[in-house]
Amino acid sequence: MKVSYQWLKSIGPELEAGIAELSERLAALGFPVEEVATLSEGFEGLVVAEVQGVREHPDADRLRLCDVDGGQGVVQVVCGADNVVEGGWYPFAPVGSTLPGGVTIGKVQLRGQESQGMLCSEKELGLGPDGTGLMVLEGRFSAGQPLASALGLEDLRLDVEVTANRPDLLSHEGIAREVAPGGHTALTLPPIPGEDPAASEALERLERHADPEEVSGDGVTIRIEAPDLCPRYVGLVVRGVRVAPSPHWLQTRLRAVGARPINNVVDATNYVLLELGQPLHAFDLQQVGGRSVVVRRARQGERIRTLDGEDRALNRDMLGICDEDRPMAVAGVIGGEESEVTDETSDVLLECALFTPGPIRSTRKALGLSTEASYRYERGVDPELQLRALRRVARIILATAGGEIRGPILDCRPGDFSRKTVSLRPSRVEALLGIPFDHESIRELLEPLGFSLEPQSPEELRVDVPGFRSYDVTREVDLIEEIARTHGYDHFPDVLGAFRPGAVPDHPLFELEDRVRDELVAWGMLEAQTPAFAPEGEGEVELLNPISSEERFLRGRLLPGLVRRLEYNLARGNRSVRLFEIGTVFALEDPGDLPRERTHLAAILHGDRFPPHWENEARGLDIWDLKGVLGRVADVVVGEGASVGPDAEGDSGSPFDPASRLVVRGVNGEAVGEAGRMPAARMDLPPWAGPVWGFELSLPVEPGPRKEIRYRPLPTHPGVDRDLALLLPEDLPVEELRGYIGREAGKYLRETRVFDVYRGKDLPEGHRSVALRLHFRAPGRTLTDLEVDEAVRRIVDVLREELGVGIRGQQDASGGA
Amino acid sequence: MSTDGSLIEELKKLEEEALASVEGVRDEAELEEVRIAFLGRREGRISEILRKLGQVPPEERPPLGAEANRVKSRLEEALDERRSSFARERAPDRFREDLTLPGRERWIGGRHPVTRVVDELIAIFRDLGFSLARGPEAETEWYNFEALNTPLDHPAADEQDTLYLKAGHLLRSHTSPVQVRVMESHRPPIRVLAPGMVYRRDSYDATHTPVFAQLEGLAVDEGITFVDLKATLAEFARRYWGPGTRVRFRPSFFPFTEPSAEVDVKRVFRDAEGREQETDWIEIMGAGMVDPAVLEASGLDAERYTGFAFGMGPGRIGMLKYGVPDLRLFYENDVRFLEQFAGP
Repeated sequence: MKVSYQWLKSIGPELEAGIAELSERLAALGFPVEEVATLSEGFEGLVVAEVQGVREHPDADRLRLCDVDGGQGVVQVVCGADNVVEGGWYPFAPVGSTLPGGVTIGKVQLRGQESQGMLCSEKELGLGPDGTGLMVLEGRFSAGQPLASALGLEDLRLDVEVTANRPDLLSHEGIAREVAPGGHTALTLPPIPGEDPAASEALERLERHADPEEVSGDGVTIRIEAPDLCPRYVGLVVRGVRVAPSPHWLQTRLRAVGARPINNVVDATNYVLLELGQPLHAFDLQQVGGRSVVVRRARQGERIRTLDGEDRALNRDMLGICDEDRPMAVAGVIGGEESEVTDETSDVLLECALFTPGPIRSTRKALGLSTEASYRYERGVDPELQLRALRRVARIILATAGGEIRGPILDCRPGDFSRKTVSLRPSRVEALLGIPFDHESIRELLEPLGFSLEPQSPEELRVDVPGFRSYDVTREVDLIEEIARTHGYDHFPDVLGAFRPGAVPDHPLFELEDRVRDELVAWGMLEAQTPAFAPEGEGEVELLNPISSEERFLRGRLLPGLVRRLEYNLARGNRSVRLFEIGTVFALEDPGDLPRERTHLAAILHGDRFPPHWENEARGLDIWDLKGVLGRVADVVVGEGASVGPDAEGDSGSPFDPASRLVVRGVNGEAVGEAGRMPAARMDLPPWAGPVWGFELSLPVEPGPRKEIRYRPLPTHPGVDRDLALLLPEDLPVEELRGYIGREAGKYLRETRVFDVYRGKDLPEGHRSVALRLHFRAPGRTLTDLEVDEAVRRIVDVLREELGVGIRGQQDASGGA
Repeated sequence: MSTDGSLIEELKKLEEEALASVEGVRDEAELEEVRIAFLGRREGRISEILRKLGQVPPEERPPLGAEANRVKSRLEEALDERRSSFARERAPDRFREDLTLPGRERWIGGRHPVTRVVDELIAIFRDLGFSLARGPEAETEWYNFEALNTPLDHPAADEQDTLYLKAGHLLRSHTSPVQVRVMESHRPPIRVLAPGMVYRRDSYDATHTPVFAQLEGLAVDEGITFVDLKATLAEFARRYWGPGTRVRFRPSFFPFTEPSAEVDVKRVFRDAEGREQETDWIEIMGAGMVDPAVLEASGLDAERYTGFAFGMGPGRIGMLKYGVPDLRLFYENDVRFLEQFAGP
C-alpha cells in the first residue's frame, strides 16, 4: 500500500511525530515500511513557468518559439509540443538544470533559433507515460516556483507492506486508524477545498430508498439478481457535471501515491478509494440502457470492451454490472469503455457496492487482470462503509465538477449487515499467550482498534466487531492475536520453561541419508543439490504451469541433473568433479493419486584419482574406483546381502555403456541401482574430458534398522598364505572361480584375494593371468603345511578339471613371485 | 685363593674397564675398536680369559664360566645400546628432503553448504526435544492450503505462487503440510522438525530460486503458549548466533498461525579491538501459535492442545552465515564453491 505522508497526517493529526517514529510503529504492529521515497527527488532546479507568448519558428513547421517566464526574466525557448498556449503554465527546466532522468539542459540552437531551457512533458519528468505534449499545470502558480511544490511533491511516499488478512489497511484512513495513538476515534477527514457547505449538508439529509431486490428513484432502477455475489449496491445520480481536469489539490494527492489524474469525476472516485478503501465507479448515465442497472451473472460468451481497451469474453461465474441488455462493467474488477465518463458526460451514475470476495478473486484470475478495486474486493471491503463513501465522493464531485444531486440514494441491499460479536475468555487469552490479562487491560488494548466490549460474566467478554475488521476477526483466537499485537510482542518474556520431549520417532530415512553422506564425503565427494525440474524425456510427471519449457517435468532420476552440473564445471575448467546428490524423483501413479516419490542417491565422477602431487604419476579415476565406492554405498544403503555385479543386458533406458554396467542388487536379488561409464556422445563435454563414471541408487522407502556391530574374537594363531597364478580364458569371470575354490578349500580358507591381473604376449592367446592369495587359518592351532598343501592341491585340481584353468605357478606367499 | 679367584677379579676389573671404554667412545669406529679389544675372537681380552677356561681345574670351571658369560653379555648389551644410540643420533642426517615441498593429499569431500546449515539447526533443536519428520514434495491442495486454514479463494493462497501438477495436486510451496501429516498420525506431545525442499513459481535471482530448502518446526502439547514460542526460538537464536544475540518478534500474518510473528536477530560481537559491534536486524524466520483451525483439521482438540510452529530457509541462513551474496551459487554446484565448505 502506497501511502502519502501528507495525506495520512491530514486524517490523523497526531501523526506529526515524524516518519521514523511512524515507520517504527507500523513495523511493531506488523506492517513494515519497505521504502520511503522523497517525491521531490530529482526535481531540484526545475520550476513552474508561464508561457507569455507563442510564435512560429521561421525555419521549422513543427517547432514554435515561446517566451517563457521561469522567474529569472523572460527567455526564448524552442518547443515542439502542439499543446503549448499563451498564458499556460508548464514545468520548465532552465539552462543548467537536470531532468529526473539525468539529462542536463544547456543553451542550444534549434534550426538557427536559440533555446534557453526546456518545457517538459509528463514523460520527460518521469511522472507518467504521456509524452505527446507538455504537462499542463492546473491552478495558481508564480513563475519560478519550485516544480516540486507546485506538483505537491514535497511529500514522502511510504510503501507499507500490508498482510493479506488486513484489507482495512488498504486506505489512508485505515493506516491512520491503526497507528494513531488515540485510536480510531481521533481521526477526521480533511475538508474538501471549494466545497459549498449547504450542498454537503443537503447530501447528509438526502432521502434513501432501500430494498433487498430492486430500488428506483431519480429515473434509475437498480436490481440485484445475484445476491450471493453482491450483498449491497448503492447508486446515486449526479446531473449536470462539467467534466474537466481535477483541481491541483486532488491531482497532488493522487500523484503522491503514484496514481494518474484523469478527470475530476474519475479522480474523485479514485481519491475516495485511496482515502477510505471503498472502490467506486462512475457511469455516464446517457450510456446506461433503459436507465437500469442489473447486477447479474454474465451470460456465457457475453463480451465487453473494458477500460484498458481489451475486448473480453465473460462467463457465468463472473458478475456483470449490466444495463437492460449488456454488461457495462465487470463487477469489482474493471469498468467498460462504452459507459465511461468522458468530456461529453453530463449526468453521472455513481456506484458504491459490496461484492463477495471469493468470486471477485476467481474472476480477476480468469481475466488475468488485477486492479485497485479487485485487490480490495477480493480481500474484503468494509460492509459499513458504502453510504459514507458515497456521500464523500458526491461531495468531492460537487466541489470539483459541479452538478446537482436530487436523490434519492438507491440502496439495494439483500445482505445481512448486523454486526458480528465474538465471545472472549480471559482464561483462554492466558492459556494461549502465557501471561494473564484482566478485563480492564483487554479493554484498553482492544477499544482503540474499534472493538467494543461488554462483560458477560467474570469469565467471558462479548466483543462487538466493527465492519472494517469483519473479515479477519471472526473467532476468539483472532481477538487474542489483537491483544498480543497491541500489547507488543517485545513485552512477553522469553525465558525457556520446562517442556516434554516429542513422542514422534525420527523418520528413519534421515539417519540413512546421513550415513550415505558420511560415506561419500569420506571418499572425497562433494554433495550437490540440483532443482527437481527436468526437460521432456527426463521425467513423466508434468507441471501445469512450468517456469520454462526446460523445466516442464519433474525428474525421474538424478543423473541427468548431475550431468548438467558436470558439463557446467568442465566448461569452467574444473577438471576434478566428484559430485553426489540425495534427492527426490517422481513417477506417475494411478490417475487421481499423487505422483510416486522416491529418494535417490546418485553420483558423477570425472578427473584424477588423487590430487596432483609432484611425486605421483597422475592417474584418472577408473571403473575400479567406481566399483569400490559402489560396494561401500551398497553396504550402507542395502545392508547385509547387497551385491554389485556386471549386467550388460540392462534395461534400454540405462544411461551407462552396457559393457561397463554394474548393477547393485538387494537381499532378494532385486536391482536397487546401477553404475558404469557414461557415453561421452550423450554429453556436452570439452575435447579434453576424460571418462565419466556415475551411479544411481534408490534408497529404501522405510529403511530397516541399522546393522548391529558384534565383536568377533581376534585369531590366536597365525594363518598361512598361498599364492596361485591362474591362466584364465578372458571370457571366464574370476567370480566363477570363487564357488569352486570355496567348496574345495575346506573350512580353514578365510579369504581369497586377487592381487594381480596380467596380460602379455608370453601368455596363450585369449588368456590372462590372475594371481590369487589364499589365506588359511584354523582356530586355536597352527595349520601344518601338509594340510594347506592338500587344500591347495584340491583347488588346483578342480579348477583344472571343471573349468580348464591352468596354473602358471604356485608359491608359498612368503617366498615371493 | 687359587687362580680362579684372581681370574674372577680380573674379569670384574675388565668389566669395569670395558664399560668405561664403551662410555668414552666418540663414534661407531671407536666403539668397534672397543668391541674388538675386549670381545674380538682372537685378541679380545675377555675372549682370552674364556680361552683360559680350559686350563682351570674342572671343579672351578662352572662359577668362572658363569661369571665370564655374564660379563660378556653385559658388555654386549652395553655395546648394542651405544650402537643404537649412535644410530639414533645419525638418523636425521640421513633424512634429506626439502620439507617445503607439498605433502601428498587426498580429495576432501564435503556436505552441501545447505546440508551443513540444516545439520547445525537440527543439532540445536534436538537438544530442545525435537525429532525429525518428512512428507511428500508433491502434495494435495488440502495439505498445502486448506488444512492450513488457507481457503483456495483467499489471496493468501496466492502469496506463494504455486506450481501445479494437475487438478488438486501441486508441489508444496512450504514445508507446513508436514505439520498436518504429523498431527494426523501422532498424538501429542509432538515436537518435530521437517527439513525439505519446497517449490515456488519464482524466477531465479540473487535471493530466489524456484526450488529451495526449508526447515519447518512444530510443537504441540497441552499448555504450550506464546511465551514458549518466544523462549524456544530465542534460545535457538542465542545458541546458533552466540549468547549475546538479540531477538525481535514482529507481528505478521500466516493463515496457519495466530498470533503470527516474523523473527529477527541482531548479532552482537566484539571486533579485533575488543569493541562491541552489532549487525543490523536480520529476518530469519516466520513463526506463530498453531491456528486452532489447523489443529481441528488435523483431528486434534484445539481447546485441549495448543502449539507453535516456525519455518526458516537454511539457504538464506547459509547466505548470512557464510557471506554468500547470491542464492543461486548454492544450486550451480561449481566445485570451487562446494570445496569451500568441504572437510569435517
